[in-house]
Amino acid sequence: MVPLRDRTASAELAPGLLEACRAGDREAFRVLYDVYKDRVYSIALYFFQGDQTSAADITQQVFLKLITTIPQFKGDSAFSTWLYRLVVNACQDATRRRKHTLAGTVEDLTVPGSQEEDLVRTQVSRSIQDAIASLPPKLRMAVLLRYFDDLSYEQMAEALHCSMGTVASRLSRGHRMLAERLQSLRGRR
Amino acid sequence: MTLFSRHVTDQLSAHIHGQLSPRETQRFERHLSECEQCRAHLDQVTFGADILEEVQIARAPEAIWNAIEAGLNQAPASRRWPLAAAALAATMLAAIVCWVELRAPAAQWNVVRIHGTQQMTGRVGPGDWIETDASTRAVVSVGVIGKVEVAGNTRVGVVAARPGEHRLALRRGRIHATITAPPRLFFVDTAAGTAIDLGCEYSLETDEEGSGLLQVTSGWVEFQWGDLHSLVPAGASCRTTRDGPGIPYFDDAPDVLKQVFAEGASRQLDTVLAAARIRDSLTLWHLLMRVGPAERERVFSRMAALSPVPAGVTRELVLKLDAPTLARWKDELAWTW
Amino acid sequence: MLRMGIVLLGITTLAWGQGFTFTLGSPVAAQDFQFKSAAFVFRAEGCPEPDKLQLSAIAEGVVSGERRSVTVKVMPASKPGVYAIAQSWPVEGKWVVILKGACGGQTAGALVPVGPRGFLREAAKVLPRPATSGEIEAALKIFTDGGKQ
Repeated sequence: MVPLRDRTASAELAPGLLEACRAGDREAFRVLYDVYKDRVYSIALYFFQGDQTSAADITQQVFLKLITTIPQFKGDSAFSTWLYRLVVNACQDATRRRKHTLAGTVEDLTVPGSQEEDLVRTQVSRSIQDAIASLPPKLRMAVLLRYFDDLSYEQMAEALHCSMGTVASRLSRGHRMLAERLQSLRGRR
Repeated sequence: MTLFSRHVTDQLSAHIHGQLSPRETQRFERHLSECEQCRAHLDQVTFGADILEEVQIARAPEAIWNAIEAGLNQAPASRRWPLAAAALAATMLAAIVCWVELRAPAAQWNVVRIHGTQQMTGRVGPGDWIETDASTRAVVSVGVIGKVEVAGNTRVGVVAARPGEHRLALRRGRIHATITAPPRLFFVDTAAGTAIDLGCEYSLETDEEGSGLLQVTSGWVEFQWGDLHSLVPAGASCRTTRDGPGIPYFDDAPDVLKQVFAEGASRQLDTVLAAARIRDSLTLWHLLMRVGPAERERVFSRMAALSPVPAGVTRELVLKLDAPTLARWKDELAWTW
Repeated sequence: MLRMGIVLLGITTLAWGQGFTFTLGSPVAAQDFQFKSAAFVFRAEGCPEPDKLQLSAIAEGVVSGERRSVTVKVMPASKPGVYAIAQSWPVEGKWVVILKGACGGQTAGALVPVGPRGFLREAAKVLPRPATSGEIEAALKIFTDGGKQ
């Protein structure tokens, strides 16, 4: 686990990469996978409250779906928007299948190897994870898309099948709910 | 009292993310100045957004790719393998894929004419040459890692086109390369040596004798000829001759430096050293390795006067051209480049 | 609106300027191909406990005469202690990136004007503490009144 900030600002795909993927170039697909894998995995991991098995399954499913459907990607929207739509769909489908079986499966998402003196930091990180996990799914997904890939509101609207106004509303509500649930951290400013 | 319908509660995140238009921002701020409730909500949203900056990204386990690759080799492609079973199978598969790759035919790259009338569009692979006339320009896609624009009156050939090595030979003319890949995957051979991409964008021109110019606009390029190396960062250029790469200089360097290192003029070393700015330590660092012991000491003294010598870098080791010491100093100097 | 990231860890002492500082550089200084197009990179130095390092950045700008504020991501490069700032603010207008850092009880800050061709080294300021509102306003004013790229 590394800080969220450890990522490119927005994926800059090499010219011809998507065309090569469409043509079935395995090397190109691996490059594409490397660009997005951590973000897709992290979104699924946080969405499923730290369930690593589910996150791995979702990631696998998304990229297999991607390679079989990429010929249909016409470039009408940004590639990342299209990819995250697959992620959103996969998470929603899995949620429907899983019902409410997540209680007790939450993994610790904090940096491994934290020292005892970092107990406070670990507790804070855990509190944030729990607060994200407690958000309603629609707000949770909006928050994760925004913070794991800096998607614009327009891109998020496309990925979430909703209007930009709805995106803005979900993010505002999500942020407020997080703030309310993490009120105790304010004293640490 | 502000009407509920005018509250800006739903725009709070859009405001802090800079997603509101200037007009919306104006309306938003006007409302905020009048509405205590929205100000309190903005404080909450801001706090919530700040907290999310602390969220950590997770690394996807490598087993996922193994499972995907195994899935890709199954029919139908959408079938999913349980991860644990797939990992073992994929490990075995990896060895086979490796063997196949070694024997795989080299890739073909697309060439597209972007100007002129010369027949150019098609695909090229190792052994193929692209030769443009004065009015024709073309773009070559370098596998999936970038592109090369070929200017007029240029002759450039494909030497290697495989995943670990993308290599062109530039006999004469000018190319502009834009590469989005880890370092040392893209190479251009010229009569003056090899330009090695270290993650960058650059222009390279040369004649058949090796006289030419490398200009880097982003990242780094290493130019190598035998034991001679020149490291050229963004904003800098480097002349090349049949004897290999010259000494890099920043494009905004003082005239004296450019006269010497860009135009080949002859000047006293002290004149060059006196004209050098802190940023020109790029040039002086390379100069250390191209002058005799007596001159090297003067170059070192000037560099030390321009910026503090970092811990672990000593005069003695520099004068001995100790490679790790020079590399450490270069890494530190790069903060001024 | 000036908005900074939060410091999540308890601050036990408030000793300013005990060696914790930033060094600013062009993207080439990070020697990390992923950040070759960054606006600039910086190095956090003198933090004896890197695990406790907290960094945040915000871009304050003036676009068509109006003040704008955009939160900026701080991205670690491959070398420990080195971070990149990619442009996430509009290309129009004049912008100053405000860095803020805390390490245990120490703090550091920086004001970094950024133009269309990268950061303006001569106009950038590194501080032993977070920049004050007055300093931010002054930096923006200098940049918008007479800043040249």
